[in-house]
Amino acid sequence: MDNDSNHIQAKTSSSVFGLLRPYIWSVVFLALLSIGASGLGLVIPKIISHSIDAYIHKTLVIETIVLKFGVVTLGIFIFTYLQSIVQTFTSERVAKDLRNTIADKIAQQSYAFVERVTPARLLTNLTSDIDSIKIFVGQAVASLVSAGVIIIGTGILLLIINWRLALAVLCIIPIIAGLFFFILSRVRVLMKQSREVIDWLNKVINESVLGSILIRVLNSQGQEFSKFVQANLQAKSIGLQILNMFAALIPVITFVANLGMLVILVLGGHFVIAGSMSLGDFAAFNSYIALLIFPIFVVGIMGSLISQSQASYDRIKEVLDTPQEKQGGTLKKQLQGHIEFQNVDVKYEGKYALKNVSFEVQPHTKIAIIGPTAAGKTQLLHLLTHLISPDSGKILIDGVPLEKYDADTLHRQIGFVFQDSIIFQLTLRENIAFGGIVGDTDFEKAIATAELADFVSTLTNGLETVISERGSSLSGGQKQRIMLARALTLNPKILLLDDFTARVDTKTEQKILENLAKNYPDITLVSVTQKITSIEHYDQIILLMEGELISSGKHDELLHTSPEYAQIYDSQKSTNQYE
Amino acid sequence: MIHKKAPINMNNYSLSNTAQPKKTTLWRSVKKFLPLLKKQQKRMIIATGAAFVTSGLNLLAPVLIGHTVDTYIQKGEYYGVLVYAAIILGLFLGALVSNYFQTLLMGRVGQNVLFSVRNEVFTKIQELPVAFFNENKTGDLISRINNDTDKLNQFFSQSLVQFAANIITILGAVVFVLWIDWEMGLIAIAPAALLLLFTRILSPWIKRKNVTNLANVGSMSAEVSESIDNFKVVVAFNRRDYFREKFREVNDANYKSAIGAGIANNTLTPTYGLASNIASLLVISFGLVFVSLGDFTLGLLISYLVYITKIYDPLRQMAALWSNFQIAFASWDRIDAILQLDSDLIRQGGESEDSTNNILEFTNVSFSYPSGKEVLHNINLAFEHGKKYALVGPTGGGKTTTASLIARLYDPSSGNILLDGKDIRTYSDDERTKKIGFILQEPFLFTGTLRENILYGNVEYAELKTEELQNIISEHGLGALLERFKDGLDTEITATGSKLSLGQKQLIAFVRAIIRRPELIILDEATANIDTVTEKLLEDILKKLPSETTLVVIAHRLSTIENADEIYFVNAGQIIRAGSMQDAVNMLLHGKRKS
Repeated sequence: MDNDSNHIQAKTSSSVFGLLRPYIWSVVFLALLSIGASGLGLVIPKIISHSIDAYIHKTLVIETIVLKFGVVTLGIFIFTYLQSIVQTFTSERVAKDLRNTIADKIAQQSYAFVERVTPARLLTNLTSDIDSIKIFVGQAVASLVSAGVIIIGTGILLLIINWRLALAVLCIIPIIAGLFFFILSRVRVLMKQSREVIDWLNKVINESVLGSILIRVLNSQGQEFSKFVQANLQAKSIGLQILNMFAALIPVITFVANLGMLVILVLGGHFVIAGSMSLGDFAAFNSYIALLIFPIFVVGIMGSLISQSQASYDRIKEVLDTPQEKQGGTLKKQLQGHIEFQNVDVKYEGKYALKNVSFEVQPHTKIAIIGPTAAGKTQLLHLLTHLISPDSGKILIDGVPLEKYDADTLHRQIGFVFQDSIIFQLTLRENIAFGGIVGDTDFEKAIATAELADFVSTLTNGLETVISERGSSLSGGQKQRIMLARALTLNPKILLLDDFTARVDTKTEQKILENLAKNYPDITLVSVTQKITSIEHYDQIILLMEGELISSGKHDELLHTSPEYAQIYDSQKSTNQYE
Repeated sequence: MIHKKAPINMNNYSLSNTAQPKKTTLWRSVKKFLPLLKKQQKRMIIATGAAFVTSGLNLLAPVLIGHTVDTYIQKGEYYGVLVYAAIILGLFLGALVSNYFQTLLMGRVGQNVLFSVRNEVFTKIQELPVAFFNENKTGDLISRINNDTDKLNQFFSQSLVQFAANIITILGAVVFVLWIDWEMGLIAIAPAALLLLFTRILSPWIKRKNVTNLANVGSMSAEVSESIDNFKVVVAFNRRDYFREKFREVNDANYKSAIGAGIANNTLTPTYGLASNIASLLVISFGLVFVSLGDFTLGLLISYLVYITKIYDPLRQMAALWSNFQIAFASWDRIDAILQLDSDLIRQGGESEDSTNNILEFTNVSFSYPSGKEVLHNINLAFEHGKKYALVGPTGGGKTTTASLIARLYDPSSGNILLDGKDIRTYSDDERTKKIGFILQEPFLFTGTLRENILYGNVEYAELKTEELQNIISEHGLGALLERFKDGLDTEITATGSKLSLGQKQLIAFVRAIIRRPELIILDEATANIDTVTEKLLEDILKKLPSETTLVVIAHRLSTIENADEIYFVNAGQIIRAGSMQDAVNMLLHGKRKS
């Protein structure tokens, strides 16, 4: 749709001004318009002083004055109006492209990256941070250019009229610049902190919404509120610190600018009395100093905007500068479904989640992974889908290392049913066909296999029903079956089930497993489960404990060779008779 | 709840995102903001006073300069010039001080308003029932609490100061020019009057554009949250393009509405500049004519030209401020939409009598979700103290809904629920939640340590020392469960992270509920992802609870419910008591399913 965003990607400059490089022509146009507008603005006092002097010398022709004045006024209006339109388009364009660039960057990153950076932070990056950059582009560029033009232009005009008085008056500019520099350099740290507090607020709000049911069950609204107030107080305290700086800055600058007027009165008055300066020039000096004060202010306000947007840009840059996730391989092939783990280790913060795990799964067979909570079962599935990578060891599919495969090839042939239900606010159909374009037969087959047909028929709008975010009031089992159908629409060669049976009733579970065997006979099934009865007939069962593979084999073998397995079996034995 | 694509307006909690601005008048807008400023009156009065002083002093300066020019410079009396210069310096110093206080105080007003509005919205969100969260996207809520309140802050802290100061400066300057010479004064302010009319006509359009834009900002935020919070699925299904495309879609919509709003917001400023220059033109042409007629002096004309800038510069700033005001107003509407919502789960007065000894009773309870589908129909139940009840049934049969009614996450559509003999609606939230421990199907943990999560919502134990907490944990036999976490109570936990397995999260949720010692514990598939060996351990822990504790267990896994005193079969709006375990299993396996 737009390739402009690629420009930004190529180079992320360290200053927020560098961000404007791809939009240089818009910016130049904007600058020209604002130079035009402010340049014309400078002519007005000149016309005024000429007319006063002309009046004194009795050479005044009022029509000429009106004509000149009118033309200039109209010119200013046209320039400023165009400028406002161009600056809106430019700033929104920069914001939109930068947002797309960030989104593209996030889209290429690993799951681990998003977890590390945190969703709250990424949300602030894409919203508040971009906003402050947008304000910078929209206001700072044009304002700074026009302020620069006015200050320099006024300065030159003043020097031409009376260089001695001008030098005295212009002394206020370095004083003001110094003040700004002093304050802004101290504010910058605070600006960055204030962005971080917004992350914090986002996090608290987000968790209070995600955990809303728990909060109501525990009546812990007070605790949530105190967390929020803590973050909010911090936000207020930083806000007040920034305010204290600016509250001092603005009046002091006004004062210094006012001193300019005083200098004109005292020194200019002296010159007029001494006869070295005309009264018209004196009036012009007064008008110009009034013109000069406003842009000086603007520079000040823009200074704070720039420091704010620089702080935001620094944060965005951290995301943009994250090294690209290692690109997957390029191998594209139809999978058979042979899986092999060779001495795989996974560590979290120095502790083993999986340690030296090796096993092999033949194509078209069923393997179950059982073991106590936190044995590393889910990590094992995450490895197979490349959500995480092993710290050492190899994972082979059809004899080829996982990383050699093209990502799309892999993800289109490996279906993953997560333990926790993840539902998007889309229609039921879109949720199920989330993997991409799905043929009607594949779709119907997936729905039938997941035993969703009955459920769908109870909905007034059937598959077109929009499910709310987090699927808040679908039952756990319904969500789980939607997740299964989602994985099955891929027509996967390998299906990974993470504790699928936990939320589905026995009867449905049995039906689903039968459907699976019937509709997807060639599938290689890797099932993490707690329930032994469902896996007794599996081709292979492996038992994981604290990240280590304790034993593997068929049900009957394990009962004899593995006391741990026998123990788990016994713990379920009493109810086995019913199933 | 599932709702239709074009939802019928049955649910009260859906925050509308459509742009329907009411007719804006300045007064109505100001009146809406007034409650926010309630506690800020003192500051605002002082700040306004300071603004008066600042403007007055700054306005006096040109008069004095004009006077100095006319009386001293033109006559060549330099001493007088110096005297007046000293007086003017004094004015400027005074203005410095009052300007400082004005900026500081109004900035504080802004920060305080921001602080209290954020708190108010957050508190309100906490008061609203679970149904509210089913209707609204997290990202949009975040956008309302953060982005919209920030727009208010910008208005209050930056714009309002200038707004007030500018109005005062303008009024002061208008009074001055009229007072000095009313004819010239009228000429000078005539273009300003036209501006007011122009602004009035454009304001509704400006606000409408901003309302649309803010709604789009909310949608974008919602989209980002959803995709990023669910990034795992995006990666595993290799739908990075989904995130990208979805984002581009909302980003484009946002771009378009932002341009609309930007153009609307920027219309006023150039026009105000135009008016300012026209005013100068009028003053200089008429002024010179008047001077030539002897009705006016050159010194006064010079002062008048300064006054023009004193009127029109602030007016031009106000053009931008007026747009900020429209943005703030649109934001306030979005915030107010939340503040106007009220929880429908109100505590009812009147002590109902102790009519039974049962811990829980359902009498003729029916329940429908706002979409209209009836989930429970005319249910009658009685649970006794100290017994263990099991609810079984197919998925979607109504088990979790039943549990949610017990915990009063919803109120029944009809019928009564009695908790310990009293209508559940007569309990305060505090009393009710103390009696009931509800371990949810989807455990939720907060970012923090394991200790913080176990003690979450636990006022009684919040201040405990680590050893005391350890004692309580071992008293309940929970120690073995916590040994599984690598850093014990100090294990770091992140809410959205996946470093902990679902089973581990369930263990933490279990511990959290047990140490609260509720009278009635509901386990809604609370141990579904925990291995069966550990589950035995949990069962032993449950057995150690005081004998009067009632358990309500919802489970698919039969081992979880095998030693229940009574088993209920929940399906298709009915709750039927099963005679035995075998009976329940038969119903489960062969019973008619209607979900």
